Amino acid sequence: MDSGSVLETIGQEIIGVMAPVSVCMLLVVLLVYTVYNPSSAASATTIRTAANLVYMESPTDSTVQKLEGAILNAVVFVVIITLVTFLLVLLYYYRFNNFLLYYTRFSVFMIFSAMGSSILISIVQRFNIPIDAATFYILLFNFTILGTISVFSDGIPIIVKQSTMVVLGIIVAAWFSRLPEWTTWIVLVALALYDLAAVLAPGGPLKLLVELASSRDEELPALVYECRPNVGRNSGARVSNLGFFVAAGVGMSSDSNSSNSDNRNGSVELQNLLRNGDRGTAMEILEGEDLVIPIDEDDRTSGSEIEEMREEAGEMAPLMGDGDSIERGSSNSGRVDNTRFSRRTEREGIEMEDFNPRGIKLGMGDFIFYSVLVGRAAMYDLMTVYACYLAIISGLGCTLILLAVCRQALPALPISITLGVIFYFLTRLFMEPFVVGASTNLMMF
Amino acid sequence: MDDDSRVPLSNLHAAGNLLPTTGEASSSTSRSVRTEWPTIDGPLGLSHEESLTYARRFFKLGFLCLPFLWAVSCFYFWPVLRNPRSQQSHPRLRRYLVGSAIGFFLFTTILSSWALTFAIGGERLFGHVWGELVMYNVAEKYGLAGWI
Repeated sequence: MDSGSVLETIGQEIIGVMAPVSVCMLLVVLLVYTVYNPSSAASATTIRTAANLVYMESPTDSTVQKLEGAILNAVVFVVIITLVTFLLVLLYYYRFNNFLLYYTRFSVFMIFSAMGSSILISIVQRFNIPIDAATFYILLFNFTILGTISVFSDGIPIIVKQSTMVVLGIIVAAWFSRLPEWTTWIVLVALALYDLAAVLAPGGPLKLLVELASSRDEELPALVYECRPNVGRNSGARVSNLGFFVAAGVGMSSDSNSSNSDNRNGSVELQNLLRNGDRGTAMEILEGEDLVIPIDEDDRTSGSEIEEMREEAGEMAPLMGDGDSIERGSSNSGRVDNTRFSRRTEREGIEMEDFNPRGIKLGMGDFIFYSVLVGRAAMYDLMTVYACYLAIISGLGCTLILLAVCRQALPALPISITLGVIFYFLTRLFMEPFVVGASTNLMMF
Repeated sequence: MDDDSRVPLSNLHAAGNLLPTTGEASSSTSRSVRTEWPTIDGPLGLSHEESLTYARRFFKLGFLCLPFLWAVSCFYFWPVLRNPRSQQSHPRLRRYLVGSAIGFFLFTTILSSWALTFAIGGERLFGHVWGELVMYNVAEKYGLAGWI
């Protein structure tokens, strides 16, 4: 399973991750491309956010000034993010789980209501859509509540959860794309570096967080409520043979009103799930109970079905694992479909904690900053958009393959962002003059 | 939609059946049984008991001017809504769902007829009130558009 056809085994996961990312980027590009108006944007005052606290870029500044200011902004931004992440780790360490949960809900609500509404209004104004205020606000209210609910509730279809996450990413990315140009690029690079450090370095906040969560056998706090639905298609994750878990952080600190909605932590960890093939027999019994009882209850008892369920579970379930807990373990291939069992377990009231569906998880941070990059590229030209899109997607693919090889939490931003930035500037500086020149002189096409 | 979502599941089953421990008989029973999940997410979705709780909650919440919740509820429990004679689902579950569907359609009809009247009738129908109600003027007046 590990050797040979890495692509074969993780192909579905790659698609499952890439599809929503692509949709998100596409929509951000469309949004920016249709609504963005260079002349009005130039006159508009740039808002001060957490990402440009220090320096407000103005077009008249010299390049050196811009560069210095942008670097300062990026440093401040990353420091803020780091502090907030450590705060989150601290809160999680002392088990303020409810606070984190409610805070996440609140921030999602604010993102949808405040930031989302103003984007919608921009669209309405841009296209002169003849909708009256009452209808608009009813629809907005509905959408906001639906989005907020779908972030944490169980009774929402997975597809709706995923779309909500994509929309959330679009909204935040659209706001981020309002940052001044130089600041955007430097902040993106700085975030990629930060991500690298935070996930991989010993003592990095996100690494701490992941370790803490997995040592407690819990979902990542707050983050997971944000991230879990981002899995492209859960079916993909279920079918897979590789146990992956890509967790990612969206900002724990989005106090998302007009000013600094931007403290979000663009970090992603891709964490691999260990496979534990030799977990013992005692657990099988427990599992058996889990299986049998609910089936009885549902009037579908049949021994063979239990067998098959176990079979299937063993076949398709990724499992998070440090493997000490009793839930780990499975009859055949050593993995359990945690999802199904968890539902059963909850219903039965058997106290077995943490059965969680574990698929690839990609954080909101990724969605947002990939889309920011592409959206910023869309403000220049569509050619740069194509280049950046390809770069980001290939970077994401590389990250996923690395994940399959390394089997530990990986940051998803660095490779993609690096490639994206490089491709942007290469395209802008070299390819565009060449292609445009060649085609206007009828040497090509 | 639900058929689509079931396809991979049944494929998985077919794959599972190839393994030696499972027999042919079990595959047919389990396949027929497996189609009885109350939600479109199949095994990843809710159980029947949880379904009732959520359907009731969404049904009640929908009256707070939240017809989207009714729509989502109908969409999510589509298998139950579509099979009236299902043995496993709770009878009350279906009642909530039908209520949600009716509510959603009522609300949609009313709202869309109003919105269409407003959009199509325009200033000819409403006079100067139209200009005060239309969203882009409202946004202009109160400075609501913050983004771009």
